Amino acid sequence: MGLAQNIIFGLVTGSYIAIAAIGFTLIYGIVNMINFAYGEYLTIGAFIGFLAAGVLPLPVAAAVAMIGGGIVSLALARLFFTPINDTGPVPMLLTSIGLGLVLRNVIRLWAGRGARYIDTQTTTFRTEGLPDLPVGSYDLLGDFFVTSEHLVVIGVTVGVFLILHGLLTRTDVGIAMRAMGDNESLARVRGIDTQFIRNSVWILAGVLAGLSGVLVGVQTNVSVTTGYAHILQILAAAILGGAGSPYGAVAGAYVIGLVIALSTAFLPSSMTGISSAMAFVILVAVLLVKPSGIAGTEVREA
Amino acid sequence: MSVTDRLPGDIADRAGLIGLVLVVAAIAIAVSPLVVTVPSALLVFVEVGILFALYGILVLGLDLQYGHTGLVNFGHVLFFAVGGYTVAILAAEGSFSGTSLGYPWPLALVAGVIVAGVVGAIVGATSLRLRDDFLAIATLAAAEIFYSLTRNLQDLLGGTTGILSIPTPLAELAADYDTAMFVTLLGMLGAAALTFAALTRLTEAPYGRVLRAIRADELVTRSVGKSVFTYKMQAFVYGAALAGLAGGLFALYNGAVAPGFFTIQVTVTIWIGMLLGGASNHRAVLAGLAIIMGLRLFSRFANQSLPVSSGEFASIRLIAVGMILVLVIRYRPAGIWGNEKELGVDS
Repeated sequence: MGLAQNIIFGLVTGSYIAIAAIGFTLIYGIVNMINFAYGEYLTIGAFIGFLAAGVLPLPVAAAVAMIGGGIVSLALARLFFTPINDTGPVPMLLTSIGLGLVLRNVIRLWAGRGARYIDTQTTTFRTEGLPDLPVGSYDLLGDFFVTSEHLVVIGVTVGVFLILHGLLTRTDVGIAMRAMGDNESLARVRGIDTQFIRNSVWILAGVLAGLSGVLVGVQTNVSVTTGYAHILQILAAAILGGAGSPYGAVAGAYVIGLVIALSTAFLPSSMTGISSAMAFVILVAVLLVKPSGIAGTEVREA
Repeated sequence: MSVTDRLPGDIADRAGLIGLVLVVAAIAIAVSPLVVTVPSALLVFVEVGILFALYGILVLGLDLQYGHTGLVNFGHVLFFAVGGYTVAILAAEGSFSGTSLGYPWPLALVAGVIVAGVVGAIVGATSLRLRDDFLAIATLAAAEIFYSLTRNLQDLLGGTTGILSIPTPLAELAADYDTAMFVTLLGMLGAAALTFAALTRLTEAPYGRVLRAIRADELVTRSVGKSVFTYKMQAFVYGAALAGLAGGLFALYNGAVAPGFFTIQVTVTIWIGMLLGGASNHRAVLAGLAIIMGLRLFSRFANQSLPVSSGEFASIRLIAVGMILVLVIRYRPAGIWGNEKELGVDS
C-alpha cells in the first residue's frame, strides 16, 4: 500500500473525526465540560442511521440520524448535565464517564457485540452516486484507489464546515455562541439567553455526532464500540486544535487522521494495533508542550 | 488489665498491628502443615476478598492523590498494570509468551514498586500543571496508551495472552488449593491494613495538612511558602508506587498478567468506591469500595436466578455502576461518610 493510499485514508478518518470534534469542542467551549460520553452519541447516531438506512435512502437516513442525535443530546444534557452545571469541570467529567458507561451498556443490551454494515450498495446514494475513481499511479506515491464513499465522507465534511462557518459568523445564535465561548458573564450582561444558547449547543453537538456516526458506519461498520473507539481521537483532535476552537478542532482532526493512517505505513506489521494509540500519544505530547493546545486559550492554572 | 487495654488506641497503630498479625498469620499457616478447608460455595468470597484488599491499596493511593491533594488521576490502572507487568517480566520463569527473566520475586516486587513510582513521576512531571479535567484526560490517555501497548507488544509483554508462569510464593508454601487461597486472603488483607496504617500516619501528620491545604486553596498554600508542585508530585508518586505494589502483589497471587485484568473498568471501580464512601477519609473510601465490590459479588449470585445470559447481566451490572457514579455526584457529592467542608462541595 502506497503513501498516497495512506494519505487518502487519513483524510477520510480525519473527516469524520473533524465533524465530531467540532461538536465536542463546542460543548467544551460553551458548557465548559469535557463530555466523555460524547463518543456514545456517535454510536447512537450510527445505529439510528443503520436502522433508518434499512427503509430510507441513505441521505434521508443520515438526516434522521442527525435529528435523533440532536434530540438524544439535548435530552441527556437536561437530565444529567444541566442540573450540575455550576459544580465545576470535574463533577461534570465524572458524570459524563458514568453516563458513557450506562449508554454503552444499554446499547450492548439491545444490539449485542456484533458489527453491522450500512449497505451502501442498495441505497440510492450508490446508484445515483459517483463512480469510483480509477486507480492512480505515480512513481513517488504508489498505487491508490478512491471510492465514492471516500469522496462522500470528505465532501460532506467540507460542506458541514462551510455551513458551520456561516452559522457561527452570520447568524445571531452562532454569534451568541462565540460570545459565550469568549466570556459568559459578559454575554449574559449583553442580554444573551445563555440557557437557550447552551441548549442550542447541545442540539448542534448531537446533530454533528449523529452525522459523524453515520459516516463512520458508511466507511467501516456500526457496533457498540464505535463511539468508545473514537472518543480519545476526538478528544485529541479537540485539544490539539485548542479546546474550544471549532476551526482548530478541524485542523487537529486531520492531523490525527493522517498520523494514524501514516503510522500504519511506518510501523512494522506486528505493531499496527498501536496506530490508534498514536492519537493518545499526540494528545499527551501536546499537553506536555502546550497545555492549552495549538490555538487555544489558556487553560493552565498551576 | 485486659488485653484490649494494652492495644494501641491510635487508629493508625491499630491498623498497623492488625496488618502485621495478618501477614505473620498468613505465613505461619502457609508453612505449617495446617490445612484449611474453604467450602466451595465460599470460595468466591475469598476470591473477591483478595481482590478487595488489592483494590483497597489502589483506592487508598488514589485517595491520597484526589481526596487529600485534589489531583484528578483517571489513569490509576496504569500504575497497577505497570507494577503487575514489571513483576511478571522480572519474575516469570520459562513463560510461554512474553519476556520472562526468572529473577527472585522479592526483587521483582521491589522493582515493580519503583518502576510504577518512576512512571508516576514521568506522568506527573508532564501533566500535574494541567487544569483538573485536563489532568484527568491526560492520565486516562496515558493508561490507554499502555493498555494498547500490552495488547500489541507480543514479544515483550505477551500481547493479549499476557505473561504466564509468574511464581505465587505464598500459595506455593501452602499444602493445597484451599489453604493457598485462605493464606493469600490473609496476606493481602494484611498488606492493605499496613498500607492503611502508613497512609493514616502520613495524612494525620502536618504533611497531610499541607496536602489538604493545596486541595482547598492552592494560591494561599503557595503564599505561605509551600512548594505546591513538589507536594503534588510527591502525593502523585506515592499513590503510583502504592498502585505498583498492588499490581505486583496481584501478579504474585494470580500467577499471570494479561491486558484484560487492567482495563479502565478498574479505574472506574475504585473511583466510584472512593466517591461513594467519601473522599479524604481512609475508612470511608474502603467502605465505599466494599459496597461496590459487594454489589459485584451479590450480582454474581443474582445472575444465577435471573433469566438473562451472563453477557446481558454484565451489561446490566455496568449500567447500575454507571448510574451509581452519576447519582452519587449529583446527590451526595461528598460521599456517604465524607466531610463536605473538607471537600469544599455543597450538598
